[in-house]
Amino acid sequence: MSRLVKKSPSVCTDLPLDNADICNKLRLMRELLGSCYGPTGRLKQIHNNIGGRVVTTSSSSVLLPAIASSEPFVNLIRTSILHHVRRFGDCGLFAAIFCLSLVEQAKQSGLRAKAVIRSNEHLASLCTDYLKQGGCGCKVKLDLCSGRDLVALARSVVSSKPACVLTEPECVHISRLAVRAFLLTVPCDTPGSVSLGQTVRVSVEGLPVTHSAVVPGLLVDTAEDVYLSQPCSLPHPLVLFSASLAGDLSELGDGLIEVHPRVDSDSQVLSQLLELGNQVVRDGVKVFVCQKVIHPVLQLYLTSHGVTVVERLGVTLMEPLIQLTGAQPVATLHSAVQPTAYGQVGGLSVRRFGSKTMLHLQACGESAICTIILCHRNETMLNELKVTCQKAEHVLRLALREPSALRGGGCTETHLAAYVRRQSKSEVPALGRGCSQTEYLRAAEAFCRSLESVARSLEHDGGTSTIDPTHAHRWTRPSDVATERRGVGAGCCGCGSLDGRETWTSAEFPPADLLRDASVQPGVLDSFTAKLNALQVAVETANLALDVRYVIRDVN
Amino acid sequence: MLGSAVLNSRQHIGLQRVSALAETVRSSVGPNKKYKFIQDDTSGESVLVCSCFRIIESLEPTCAVGQLVLETVQAHHKVYRSGSGCLLLLAGAWSRAALDCLHRGISVTNIISFMSEGMDICLDVCKESTVLFEDLAVTGRRTAAPRGVEKTFTEAPQGSRHMQRATKSDDMTPNMSVRRKTKLSRHFCETTLHLDEPDVPGVSHAAEMLSHGCEGSMKLVVEAFQLQSKKNQELRNPMFDISKVMTCVLPGLPEGRACVLHGCVVLLSHEQVSVAHQIKERRLKVAFINGDLTHTYRHLGFKKPPGVQPVSERSVPSGSSKEDEWLEKVVEVFLSLEVNLILTTGLACESLIQTCCRHRILLVERVNSPALRLIANSSGALPVTYPTQLSEHCVGTGVQIFIWTDLSSYGRKPAAAVNISTGGGVGLVTAVITSCVDGKLQALEDQFWACAHRLHHALKDRVLLPGAGATEMLCIHHLQKAAERHSQADADRAQETKTGTAAGLHRGHVLQLMADGLIDYITTVTVNAGRFSAVEARTVVSRQLQNFHRDQIMAGKFSQLALEAEGDASADKTPAARIYDNLSVKQEAWRKALDLVFLVLQTDAEVITGTGRKGEDNLMLL
Repeated sequence: MSRLVKKSPSVCTDLPLDNADICNKLRLMRELLGSCYGPTGRLKQIHNNIGGRVVTTSSSSVLLPAIASSEPFVNLIRTSILHHVRRFGDCGLFAAIFCLSLVEQAKQSGLRAKAVIRSNEHLASLCTDYLKQGGCGCKVKLDLCSGRDLVALARSVVSSKPACVLTEPECVHISRLAVRAFLLTVPCDTPGSVSLGQTVRVSVEGLPVTHSAVVPGLLVDTAEDVYLSQPCSLPHPLVLFSASLAGDLSELGDGLIEVHPRVDSDSQVLSQLLELGNQVVRDGVKVFVCQKVIHPVLQLYLTSHGVTVVERLGVTLMEPLIQLTGAQPVATLHSAVQPTAYGQVGGLSVRRFGSKTMLHLQACGESAICTIILCHRNETMLNELKVTCQKAEHVLRLALREPSALRGGGCTETHLAAYVRRQSKSEVPALGRGCSQTEYLRAAEAFCRSLESVARSLEHDGGTSTIDPTHAHRWTRPSDVATERRGVGAGCCGCGSLDGRETWTSAEFPPADLLRDASVQPGVLDSFTAKLNALQVAVETANLALDVRYVIRDVN
Repeated sequence: MLGSAVLNSRQHIGLQRVSALAETVRSSVGPNKKYKFIQDDTSGESVLVCSCFRIIESLEPTCAVGQLVLETVQAHHKVYRSGSGCLLLLAGAWSRAALDCLHRGISVTNIISFMSEGMDICLDVCKESTVLFEDLAVTGRRTAAPRGVEKTFTEAPQGSRHMQRATKSDDMTPNMSVRRKTKLSRHFCETTLHLDEPDVPGVSHAAEMLSHGCEGSMKLVVEAFQLQSKKNQELRNPMFDISKVMTCVLPGLPEGRACVLHGCVVLLSHEQVSVAHQIKERRLKVAFINGDLTHTYRHLGFKKPPGVQPVSERSVPSGSSKEDEWLEKVVEVFLSLEVNLILTTGLACESLIQTCCRHRILLVERVNSPALRLIANSSGALPVTYPTQLSEHCVGTGVQIFIWTDLSSYGRKPAAAVNISTGGGVGLVTAVITSCVDGKLQALEDQFWACAHRLHHALKDRVLLPGAGATEMLCIHHLQKAAERHSQADADRAQETKTGTAAGLHRGHVLQLMADGLIDYITTVTVNAGRFSAVEARTVVSRQLQNFHRDQIMAGKFSQLALEAEGDASADKTPAARIYDNLSVKQEAWRKALDLVFLVLQTDAEVITGTGRKGEDNLMLL
């Protein structure tokens, strides 16, 4: 008997931005993400309602997937920022805060959505054009020949994640490691198109951070009593299996198989495996690696013939190992291994890190694979450190494509805001019928305020943010410093290239030449490519959000 | 659906939770521990716990902060096996310090940077006041070992290295050294040489100073160390390899029966005991199996194909015959290889055990796998997964078994504890821990491991810290001095220019609060030692600190006066027993405590995913 349930009609929300509930949620999301921004940002503890694992983090790549909302409108914004993070690895929080504050400012200004969208589009292109210009005041050329700039770039990423709980020397150590790992992944002397190698991250809990290290080649988890083949003749031939060698019939799938009771399928597979082992030994293979499990009988056979066996490599290490050794993964055990499938290993040794025993595989010649071992005192901080290092690697790679960086610490945002303000005052573009001149000016003001609010989000201790009139950099005065001195106070600006001793004079734009003086290098750098894209993503997402007229939800 | 609760205001709930959790272990910090019952109201089960780590573990804190605390303590315990109480109590004390700072309007960023500064001061003090292990060993030869080891204060770090450095750099030390001499002459007049092993200089003596109230367990540890180091003796650099130490817990025997043996110890059933009696004290051929000894067992990662169906025209032979077939084959292998002893990490099926017994083969199940590997290595064997894999070169020789004790008179299930030994070549030793009270066994085992790790780390670090609060005292002293300096400097600056910043004042304040946390810690330890009430303990601590400060000021000029004052102060106390702490354990515990405080302090919101229900009032839904 079937029962019919009447389909309930879809729910339609008109003008989602006028809905108080949705607005509250957007505000909450902005506050949540805004409070995580920057090196003094606050952390969030993420867990589920039934007492699952607690993750403590402040990075967008962990936070954004966790904060799924019940409201599709909020999720729309969240996913588009998330895509940016997955692609560029950095500036996720910037994009989210900027986008949400654009929406909020547009809402507050009371302008027509169409007009705001038009203006935003224009303003965004104004910004990107300016940032791409050679004479842009907030761009810094990176000198890839010296490590200093790269370390500064990596350090800005590492120090912006307080959940890593790193001391100053630890922070420097990790930044240097990130740069070294990155440099190891850049192949030397390869003619033609260059493809970068890979960094594999291994984490060890319980050791001090300063024990972290970078090694060329791969580190593979292994049993305590791994057998090392004698270093008689380097390089060692290696064979790599992606098929399971456990001796089961897992390849057959789910169907029903009928077998004769006298047929012992296990021993037949095993004899197949041993035949394979026999061939491999005959071919002089010294290292035998399998992604999955290897039958113990085969393992014993191989080790007794002087072959080093590594099982359960895992799918993530397959690609780096293929790159390192040049081996072709063998996907079946039912045919002989092709001679071309063998790879080569240049060095083989056992290394111990804390409680872990690892096999160190080195490349035969030069290869762009390296392993970074990250150590930290507890798991929470170690996980954040892993995410952070990944982010740093991403940023460094982006820098290779476009060797420039933006001033960090909120200075780029304030500078851009100053630039946009000035430009919009001097020349008002004709944006057609959708947008009048006054509307454009007010939209530009909202845009600038959004940019400045992102810069302000860097301050979490109640300090006041100020902008100097000469260079339009961001300065902060801590709330708990009872300074009576006039002016912006001691210290230096957000990016660290100016100090508070100078006197501010003009409000001219483009700002004074001092900034292009090579001797003044900012201490805090942001990835140029990531930030540029984040800016575009934020504006586009905000425009889309402003453009949404109805939200129709199927509640069945 | 997702909710988010705001934690942070001036009353930081997270920090309060850390502090509350830390309070639960307050009475268990220090060497004098009281047993506690932890009862589960829902199931009615209860557990007897002793150490701080077991308390926190059994409490199973569910809140997010609680989980973080548990994670931190577990990570520490895994590596060091002691110092969890110190970690927790300091995390609690420093959480309160951070809360106080928040109340005073000090920003989170500043709290963190000032506290890190304070930690640097403390770690520097630790580094400065270390005592070389060798020096201790030398003193161990010359002076009497303290009798009743008790937690009271040692006045100052003792040991020659600190003395040398201190006389050069620190102005307070001249009179300290005089004082120490007086003390030694007064209380350690009778010099006895008591060293069991002259070839491992002073380790047993040093170990005694590291026992922290667990003399019994430490005695076992020293025995284990001596057994282990008998063979591969490195006089210059003695090490204690705890990965080659096992424990075997044996209920029903008095605690005095605890001992340390070469090799490993296993418990056997009645029928196995008779076999063991037949083959004991002979050099045996032995096979090692990694895994279960049943006909259905397959190695890890082997997937049984789900859809295999046997089809046949004739009647299908039953499953039991298959088992019999397997049994026959396995026993045949064993007999052909002439093995007398089979060790397996897994289980064995009952029929196989009995068949083996009939053939005078002893089959021992559930052997700890590192132990199995070590014994296999030393006997030249190769552990295999399936018995059918066994061949001549997989079989080891030279293993002996000894009946350690026959338990059959106790009417318990295991009939005997049997010692499987390879003659000590690999350094595998097993501590047998016994107690008549079942509930106490866990605590005794924990104590053993704590002591073992302390000795291990002492030998690894090669240095020790003066214990019984002496290092903490020195840290407090330095923190307070730094705090004073900052406040003073700031006051001066304020007078001169009228533009003084509050930063200096705040820094001084934070450092003072950190020192207060350490004072809280040593006060608690003193109270737990049972000789002082909380108020008295505080008085003693503050008097000690005052002495400390005064000594510093009048050093050199009024050494006589200081001596007299010291004499008065110590008159009402028992002779200061000499207790030492591990450098690495202390440093890591402190650092982890501060990490925990920082993580919680910086957290301002809890994001709870999957909150479908409505009506959770204090949650904001996203």
